[in-house]
Amino acid sequence: MIQRLHGILVWLALCLSGLQTQAQGIKVHIVSSQASAPYLDAAQALIKGLSSHGVARSEIQVMSLADFSNVSPVALPTGKVWVALGTQAAAALAKAQLRGASVLSALIPGSGFERVLRQSGRQASAQFNAIYLDQPLQRQLVLIRLALPRAKRVAVLWGPESWNRADTLRTLANTHGLVLRDARLKVESDLFAALQSVLDGSDVLLAQADPLVFNSSSIQNILMTSIRDKVPLVAFSPAYVRAGALLAIYSTPTQVGTQAARWVLDVLAQRTLPEQAMAPDDFEISVNLEVARVLNLPLDAGQLQLSLKRLEQP
Amino acid sequence: MKDISIAVQTRLTPLLGVVCLLVSQGTQAQTRLAVSENDFLDDMPIVLSVSRLPQRLDETPGAVTLIDHDMIRRSGARDVADLLRLVPGFQTTESFESVAPLASYHGALDRYATRMQVLVDGRSVYSPYFIGSTGFGLQAVALQDIESIEVLRGSNSASYGARAMLGVINIVTRHTQDTLGPRLSVTRGENGVHDTQASLGWGFEWGSARIGVDQRADDGLLGANGRNQLNRVNLRADYRTDARTELQIRAGLTSLNSGKGQLGTIEERPVQLDSSFVQLDWQRNLGPDSDLALSVSHSRESYVDKLLSYQFDYDGISRNNTLTAIHTFRQGPDLRVVWGGELRRESIMSKSFYQQEAALDTDFSRLFGNLEWRLAPAWMLNAGGLIEHNSVSGESVAPRLMLNWHVAPGHTLRAGVSRAFRPPSTFEKSARIDLLGTPYIHSTGQVQPESLRAQELGYFADLPHAGLSWDVRVFREELGGFIRQLNASFPRDYANDEDFAITGGEYQIKWRPWTGAQILFNQAYIDISSVREKTGTPLAAPKLASSLVLMQKFANGLDLTLTHQDSGTATLHGSGMGSAVAMTRTDVRLAWPLRWGARHGEVALVVQNLGEPYQDYDPAYVFQRRAFVTLQLDN
Repeated sequence: MIQRLHGILVWLALCLSGLQTQAQGIKVHIVSSQASAPYLDAAQALIKGLSSHGVARSEIQVMSLADFSNVSPVALPTGKVWVALGTQAAAALAKAQLRGASVLSALIPGSGFERVLRQSGRQASAQFNAIYLDQPLQRQLVLIRLALPRAKRVAVLWGPESWNRADTLRTLANTHGLVLRDARLKVESDLFAALQSVLDGSDVLLAQADPLVFNSSSIQNILMTSIRDKVPLVAFSPAYVRAGALLAIYSTPTQVGTQAARWVLDVLAQRTLPEQAMAPDDFEISVNLEVARVLNLPLDAGQLQLSLKRLEQP
Repeated sequence: MKDISIAVQTRLTPLLGVVCLLVSQGTQAQTRLAVSENDFLDDMPIVLSVSRLPQRLDETPGAVTLIDHDMIRRSGARDVADLLRLVPGFQTTESFESVAPLASYHGALDRYATRMQVLVDGRSVYSPYFIGSTGFGLQAVALQDIESIEVLRGSNSASYGARAMLGVINIVTRHTQDTLGPRLSVTRGENGVHDTQASLGWGFEWGSARIGVDQRADDGLLGANGRNQLNRVNLRADYRTDARTELQIRAGLTSLNSGKGQLGTIEERPVQLDSSFVQLDWQRNLGPDSDLALSVSHSRESYVDKLLSYQFDYDGISRNNTLTAIHTFRQGPDLRVVWGGELRRESIMSKSFYQQEAALDTDFSRLFGNLEWRLAPAWMLNAGGLIEHNSVSGESVAPRLMLNWHVAPGHTLRAGVSRAFRPPSTFEKSARIDLLGTPYIHSTGQVQPESLRAQELGYFADLPHAGLSWDVRVFREELGGFIRQLNASFPRDYANDEDFAITGGEYQIKWRPWTGAQILFNQAYIDISSVREKTGTPLAAPKLASSLVLMQKFANGLDLTLTHQDSGTATLHGSGMGSAVAMTRTDVRLAWPLRWGARHGEVALVVQNLGEPYQDYDPAYVFQRRAFVTLQLDN
């Protein structure tokens, strides 16, 4: 409760400081889908990253999605860079006519950004781009090789939102000497049968974000089944590790905000955003030590993180 | 039969009300289908909390045999008792003569298998009316609804109470999330085999539910007075009220119509046993390392058995109410503690058994605890105990110590000692039966709790790369003051008779030698030092019993299971010294998977006892070859 109150107060402070300086030359506008802790952490990291490279606090405006929506299109401020935090903010900025400005979306999953593009008739470009929350499939597979070197068969459950990554993952898995055992769910009630079929003979269950498959109701079923079959779950957020996944790889909002700051600084320095959407470049790994112990897998999150980063940046 | 249907319908009405309520809630369920950052940022309920994480098999305080859903299906068994034939040290019967098929560990020491604890989703299902018989409890749920059966071989009173004197059979039903949609299973075959099960599972905003209705019926053993028909209705609903709290509601009815007494004798008659229960479980995750669970349940059983030739009936009713609280917590990485308490009241009413209209009540209060302490990376100590107060027999204490040593990766040695007790049941303490006006059984109430002191050594190996695991258990179980009905003169009484020891060794091997194959091999050598030759106790278990299961899934989908059981000479459950027979039995099961669209199922042919008929329960009762076909349609 105190944490939430603190978050609201910080958020108000960020917004109010933006209002006070609205009349002056704003270079960076940050529009946030929500005012909860992850968005706040991302916004603070972004502001810190910009401030440490000479962007004055008065040149950064933070506004809520509601504030942004209430501004008349003709009265929209004309900053050089807009940063959307979250899918809803990205959708709102995609619809707005922000002539001459670069729009960077962050705290957004790949399929969320693709949906925003489809709905707004846009394409990813140097003017409208995103840093995804999803970890690259390649990174996820390398992690499996590092953490579970004996694993050969990787189970994956796809839903309608994640299915489009299946072919890519299958190809990549082959290059890593792994075999994919996957199933596609069309309705939630398919979950158990699909789970049974993919877990049978598999060494690890790799989670891909898709609310039809992974949600707060289904996670009970998935984790209880996976631990029963001794097939550990590798997930995409630390909440899953707390819930009972063996490990997760993810980027924190602070890491995302810091990466966004670097790209915003590039744009302010007259360079452009890339043409293609970006993967998060920094990440963390969490391990559930109790689950690791039950499965007799001695894992060290710090060591895994170090090894994976070393492999990516030799 | 008509009366039962009406009774079942009457009791079903509230159940159906709950179902309607749940279904109506289900229509309101909404699922967010588009991926957003919330999928990455939102919190999740703690699922594998401290009480949910299973203990590693190399760290359990004793030998464990796990029978999972796949094994249950592929065994071809039609009930739990039949499955337990494949667990080392078990003697089973398919007879309904002692209410329902029995499974005893380390000897058919009595006609009701009273020295085992049977739990179904944590609820103790022994029958207070039948001296604590576990036979009917093994029939509480349909096999299709069982997720796993965990058999803790060896005394476990320290954790599971007095009934766990020789072991525990822990039946866990399938989670409702695992059984969404409709399912149907139909079995028809020789010997009047007529099993049907239908279940429906559905989800709603905060959880999921399942209702299952089934019938298990056959003509029983040749020579016995069949036909045996079980009708069951079971409801389970799982609610998650918030990320930390879970609520489970279970309710069920079981109705058994069976025959008793040898065919053609004056004891031949029909009997009827009905039971019902309601169970409410509440679990709350108090923090990352602490869980609290509360459970309350009410069970009732009523028995109708009229022995007209003796102008006598065995009719009666029993009820029990149980309230249990369990707190599980972790103190640092090396200590996990489970402790809790239980209050239980058992009430039994039977004019014929006790010559009084009023209920005989027994109140139990129990306090138990176990700490799982990792002394060093390779050493695990389980230390625990149970203190029980019983309003009839007073206090008892059941402590246990077990030390596990991981000698090398994959190899663990166990050594442990424990003490257990079993207070006499209401019948053993207070029975007052007159037959044809003559005192027949008059319990004087002198009988005291019997005790057990167990010592065991174990060796568990798990070599996943070789697809091989085994568990060896060597044991000495000293029974003190064994409770027995003294029948040398009338009226009969129950008394603490002799002390004797059950010693021996048993092992189970699991091996996956090639793709799609699994081999299970068990052997048990048991020696019972009882000197009461006329009671049958010395041979209550065969000296040597073996079982072999071969399961093979072929590339074309064909699924083959071959089971062979070979038991040396032993007295039968129901006949004491009147029998001393050996048996062998070979079963085969062939199954083909079915698929239509996203749905799947299976059709299976099972032939039980390919060889010669064998005597079961009584020398006059015979288990003949029987073949049946099962069609199973899953969602």
